[in-house]
Amino acid sequence: MLTAYAPGIYPRSEALVQATRDLDRGRTTREAVDDQRERDFREFVAAQETAGLTLLSDGSLAWQDLFRPLAERSDGLDARPLTRFLDTNTFYRAVLVEGKARLRDPIPAPDLPIGRWLATLPSPLAFARAAQGAVSAQALAADVLAPQIEAYAQAGCALVVLSDPFLARQGGAGELGDSLAELPDAPPYVLQLPFGDASSVLPELADAPVTAVGVDFYATSLDGVPADYPKELVAGAIDARSSALEDPAEIARFVDALSEKNPAGISLSVNGDLQFVPEPIAREKIGRLGRATTALAEAA
Amino acid sequence: MSEVRFPTREIGSLAKPSWRVKAFAGRRLDDSDIAEAERWGSTLQVEEHEQLVEKLRSGQVGEADLPGIDDWAALYAIRLLEKAGLDVVYDGEQRRTEMYDHVAGFAQGFEPRGTVRSFDNKYYAKAAVVEPPSVNGPQDVEEFEFVRAHTDRAVKVPLTGAYTMEDWSYDEHYSHEGALGGSAERRYEGRRRFVSDVARNVILPNVRGLVEAGAKWIQIDEPAATTKPDEVPLVVEGFNEATKGVEAKKSMHICFSDYTALWPHVLGLEDCLELQLEFANRDSRELGTREEDRPGYAETLKLFKEHGYPNIGLGVIDIHSDFVEPAELVRDRVLFAVDLLGDPARVQLNPDCGLRTRRWDVVYEKLVNMVEGTRLAEHELNRAHAAPAAR
Repeated sequence: MLTAYAPGIYPRSEALVQATRDLDRGRTTREAVDDQRERDFREFVAAQETAGLTLLSDGSLAWQDLFRPLAERSDGLDARPLTRFLDTNTFYRAVLVEGKARLRDPIPAPDLPIGRWLATLPSPLAFARAAQGAVSAQALAADVLAPQIEAYAQAGCALVVLSDPFLARQGGAGELGDSLAELPDAPPYVLQLPFGDASSVLPELADAPVTAVGVDFYATSLDGVPADYPKELVAGAIDARSSALEDPAEIARFVDALSEKNPAGISLSVNGDLQFVPEPIAREKIGRLGRATTALAEAA
Repeated sequence: MSEVRFPTREIGSLAKPSWRVKAFAGRRLDDSDIAEAERWGSTLQVEEHEQLVEKLRSGQVGEADLPGIDDWAALYAIRLLEKAGLDVVYDGEQRRTEMYDHVAGFAQGFEPRGTVRSFDNKYYAKAAVVEPPSVNGPQDVEEFEFVRAHTDRAVKVPLTGAYTMEDWSYDEHYSHEGALGGSAERRYEGRRRFVSDVARNVILPNVRGLVEAGAKWIQIDEPAATTKPDEVPLVVEGFNEATKGVEAKKSMHICFSDYTALWPHVLGLEDCLELQLEFANRDSRELGTREEDRPGYAETLKLFKEHGYPNIGLGVIDIHSDFVEPAELVRDRVLFAVDLLGDPARVQLNPDCGLRTRRWDVVYEKLVNMVEGTRLAEHELNRAHAAPAAR
């Protein structure tokens, strides 16, 4: 069965945007922002359910960027200098290493059905790169990510998507493999490579200890996928950086073409965090991801 | 050698006065807004500013008054820059919402799409290109004519560049079809066509209109220039197409970017007087003219020296901090640049970028010190030059 899901940070609604702005200006309370975030969360879950997505995401609606929650909940880490995120007009706060990194307080698990939800976390190597290499990927995997994943697993997490926005651009699959060995055996892992041409690293990742690799097919040509790839490919077929709405029929045709490369499996997903488009557009894209999945299932 | 004299300029935007913001938002002005209009009107000796104060105090500011409010805001900004002592001025972009929306909201071919996060709880509005962009006429001629009529200083007109318009927009027209699984070459070609259309059909008509109206200096702003390093050639193409055949000084402003990606491509900029770059943001606040004293300047200035083109608009004021640079710090930054380049004629001075994020009190102090520091540097250089002759 073809699976589909939408990991990463989901955009905030205009109401939540306004609430957070008002909070910064002292015009509302944190409780009011939390209430609006809860409404956003419920609406995002409903959109995924309606679309028929296989696994549910919480949209990381409280996350300011991919690294911040873990950095703020860990001894020895902080997050401060504003740093451009890849080639976007969006910024994250680079991780500062001020001592031995150790997760102090895991991020709470979302209120989602046990066994039906996924979590998104930075890959150990991406996390280390966000800290400018001041701490090793292996140390972050063992002392920060592993306890977080264990907490998620106990709360019924079915899949962990390790997002690595730097790997496709900078390489380093070998170093990544060593750090992944520090993570718990379960749940299964997807290594997602957002917003980058994955063709150069896919061969190296064939042996990585993950069950699937997420590829941005708006930055990666179909020609860049090796034939008979031994891992499942999570096809980033929804463009999270474009306001243009995808045609489910075109996605279905693309999956057919990808199938001819004979990878170990194919799932459908977004090519990165949907927070790069406004929320109404993101919601529509979730719907189209679901329709493409349905069309493919019916054709099969 | 003739006497050294460095022209000083602003880059673009200033914060909008609270009375201007509230008037346009339809919000009630309070006493502090009116006091600000009175204080700055008096400090800057804005002619007949009492009329503005009286209008604001009356509480009768309606839709019909907004063009007049814009004129007052522009006049205040011009006077602030003049009083700070700048040689080249504009109006602090008082009539523009912000640099991207100003263009996307005027040109055909763009449609607003909503709000996207920049960082933390900061967001920006983003539009999509849905057809080849175009305009029915020049956008900023009236704005320029107002400035021209209200200052005897030289005027430099800042305009958003074609590449930045492309990079900050969604693309629903040029490379949407067939994007899934498509090649990098195809994507690049779509972006090239987008940049070219904006340059030729949106910016060039504006540039021509401005020059016909008497503008002598056009500054193309490209803050996105090195966001995608392999697309710097598109920045150059966009500049050349947007200023093609125009008889005026032309320059480009870039900031908060990886400048190493600019060369050798910027050697292809046609008739570009200078690149106005941000430096102070990355520099030390300690005095000194050695390379180790000026970490924000050395690396990039070496590229200017090595390649010899274009000249440099040296950012000597940090726009992201309320720290008011002492005149001596500005002096040392200038002296270091001149010493490294070996030619004072290649240097003009400006803040790192537009000062819209700073309060006017801070802006004024910073600009006054920028001008004073410039005079100190000129004094040092002229004295050093005169000394051997005196012997």
